[in-house]
Amino acid sequence: MAEDFRSRFRVLTDGSDTPLGADHHIFIGPQHPWAEEPAHFIIHLKGERVVEANIRIGFNLRGMEKAMEARTWRQNTMLIPRACGICSAVHQNVYVRLVERLAGIEDQVSERAKLIRMFSCEAERVHSHMLWYGILAHDAGFDTLFHVTWRDREIIMDIVEDISGNRVNPALMLIGGVKRDLPKEKADKARPMINDLIKQVEYHKKVFTEETSIVNRLENVGVLTKEDAKKVTPNGPTARGSGLPYDIRKTFPYELYDDIDWNVVYYTEGDVLATTLVRLDETLESLRMLNQILDRLETASGELLQRVKPRISEGKYMTRAEAPRGEDIHYGIANGTDKPERYKIRAPSLGNIDATLKRMDGEYIADMPVILRSYDPCFSCTNRVMIINQSTGEKKIMGQDEFARRAIKAKKYNRPFF
Amino acid sequence: MSKKKLLVMGREVIKNQAKGPVTLHISERLEKHPPPEDIRTIPRIIEEKCIMCGTCVKVCPTHCLWMEKDDKDNGMIWLLRPQCMWCGHCQTYCPKDAIHIDREPSLSVSLFSFNVRQDYEMICAKGSFKGEKAEKKLAEVIEEGAKTIKEIEEFRS
Amino acid sequence: MSDALNELENILNITIPKDLVEGVVKVEKGHFDVISPSEKAYDLMKILHDDAGIYHLSTISAYEKDDSFNVCYHIQHRIEEEVKEIPINFIVTKIDKDNPKTPSMIDFFVAADYYERECYDFYGIYFNDHPFMERLILPEKWPDDVRPMKKEYSWEQIREITLNLAKQISEDD
Ligand code: SF4
Ligand code: SF4
Repeated sequence: MAEDFRSRFRVLTDGSDTPLGADHHIFIGPQHPWAEEPAHFIIHLKGERVVEANIRIGFNLRGMEKAMEARTWRQNTMLIPRACGICSAVHQNVYVRLVERLAGIEDQVSERAKLIRMFSCEAERVHSHMLWYGILAHDAGFDTLFHVTWRDREIIMDIVEDISGNRVNPALMLIGGVKRDLPKEKADKARPMINDLIKQVEYHKKVFTEETSIVNRLENVGVLTKEDAKKVTPNGPTARGSGLPYDIRKTFPYELYDDIDWNVVYYTEGDVLATTLVRLDETLESLRMLNQILDRLETASGELLQRVKPRISEGKYMTRAEAPRGEDIHYGIANGTDKPERYKIRAPSLGNIDATLKRMDGEYIADMPVILRSYDPCFSCTNRVMIINQSTGEKKIMGQDEFARRAIKAKKYNRPFF
Repeated sequence: MSKKKLLVMGREVIKNQAKGPVTLHISERLEKHPPPEDIRTIPRIIEEKCIMCGTCVKVCPTHCLWMEKDDKDNGMIWLLRPQCMWCGHCQTYCPKDAIHIDREPSLSVSLFSFNVRQDYEMICAKGSFKGEKAEKKLAEVIEEGAKTIKEIEEFRS
Repeated sequence: MSDALNELENILNITIPKDLVEGVVKVEKGHFDVISPSEKAYDLMKILHDDAGIYHLSTISAYEKDDSFNVCYHIQHRIEEEVKEIPINFIVTKIDKDNPKTPSMIDFFVAADYYERECYDFYGIYFNDHPFMERLILPEKWPDDVRPMKKEYSWEQIREITLNLAKQISEDD
């Protein structure tokens, strides 16, 4: 199998080692007007068509796995959501379920706590998907739709803020339960907002399927067939757009997803339009789920938080969850102390890179932004700043602490920063 | 373009002209759309309830709390405000419910003040640590900050 | 062990030769650990891939165990009719710490490329027959002998190395 993909094991530094027939090479990133994310794409072209695409990653290693080994299980509960800027609740959900299982209290978590966790996860899926198809419209040159979707996204952001106290980082979950309750007044306030949003998302879907200017941009672009998808193992909406109907909420249910009425969305066309429609339908599905969860919360009871000892007994366990972007998998090893022995995080974007490179083969260069966007790339920010003094050319590297401290001093003594 | 389409577009244009701008000034927006009552900001301690057990210092993920104490009734807890990420762990694990996350929206405005005197804050002082000792500590912290500035200046010259 | 092995064989519809596996552990309902020493791991994975038809690799995690390395392949057996997944943690044990070498599984999973190179970066485990065993995540000028996820390096040491590296790079150019 390696032979099929051997071409991409080539290193390209100066353009000398290129695939057969390529006459132009385009470099995208790590800093590029299109890409807010630090990844380096190398695209080989013959005329206007892509012959082959390549990627380099690793521009923002933050050393989180190492940092987690130096902190306690309890402290890590609040470090883990920082793995991703948008899907923070899902990372936290995977983490707390893993630790609960290692501590042996996974049965004691009450129904109410589980429902609140699910609410947080689904609300996050809604706002993540809306963000994504807004930016997709922007990349396809349809800025009106971008503004409309982002305006409507504020509705769900307000609900999340009302319930958790923060817009994108709800941080509701704790080992053994949840931190805050979702009282009836808040549920009553949220219900009409959710119904409004359902109408709006249905309208977005109508635009995406009927407005020819955007359909032409997405249809039959970057087709990934089911056979190819099985080889390059994409996950999440990328896979469900190519006819692989696997959603971890269905295939390996966690929390109470098997108790709630919902459907897996999948399309078989495999183009960018299919992945868009998967996300649009999933948004609607999630919004309906939110309504069901609020209904169930009226009768559900139970303690919100179980007491858990800080020391976690020896063992190892793997948990997965369906993040908005795909499959999120954590593997944790405990050694009997209050700190983890080893903790491994794999966020969904890394698993989808192969599929995206495969999508690009033979496409027009003008379709690159849409295809690159199709898997919802999400890397995260660095922790180190380099300051260059322009007049002298002198450079200094500072850690975050020093940077903050310097900024503080500059303000206090009313001096220029440098 | 057909005549009908032109007419529709023209109507929209006139309608939007009459309506005026949709965007709002930030102060107007805040009035119409206030932040929710229970947003999370920095922690506060009720001094009478606190028993100086140190749990909040131990569980804080960002190490932004620290304490100095002699015994149960003598001690103080400091908070480095810009470093606190408002996660609420200190509230969850406090055995006496002495610490709670403040819900004052206006607090968030002054958070990134970049001023040493405001960044380091003593959120709890008990017994003999009240007053004089706290002042001394504050002076120490500011002095430390001044030292770093000197270092940076040496680097620049 | 044999109960769990039988159950797994029934689910996958294959027979697993006893001498290839070191042990099978049932973690919970429909979730297994398969343990195999590094000399035999390739043959066992070949059976799982070719006969049982497992094609999805979620990730690979390496970790230190006593005086050897373990590498864990998280693979999913998918049953399309029932829309079900059976997660299997395929643990390759007994990788010598002084000369860490283990067979690469890139013949079965293309995705193994990135994950194996990540393990190589962080632990220095060399995957035999991988066509392009190069750095993926660590910076280009990172010292070759420092494998940051090993227990012998503390958090502070890594920070020191990173800062020195950054200083050196900024002096160079
Ligand atoms: S605030 Fe609570 S946790 Fe912190 S020292 Fe006081 S009693 Fe202990
Ligand atoms: S809110 Fe979180 S970060 Fe802030 S002091 Fe409390 S535990 Fe520390």
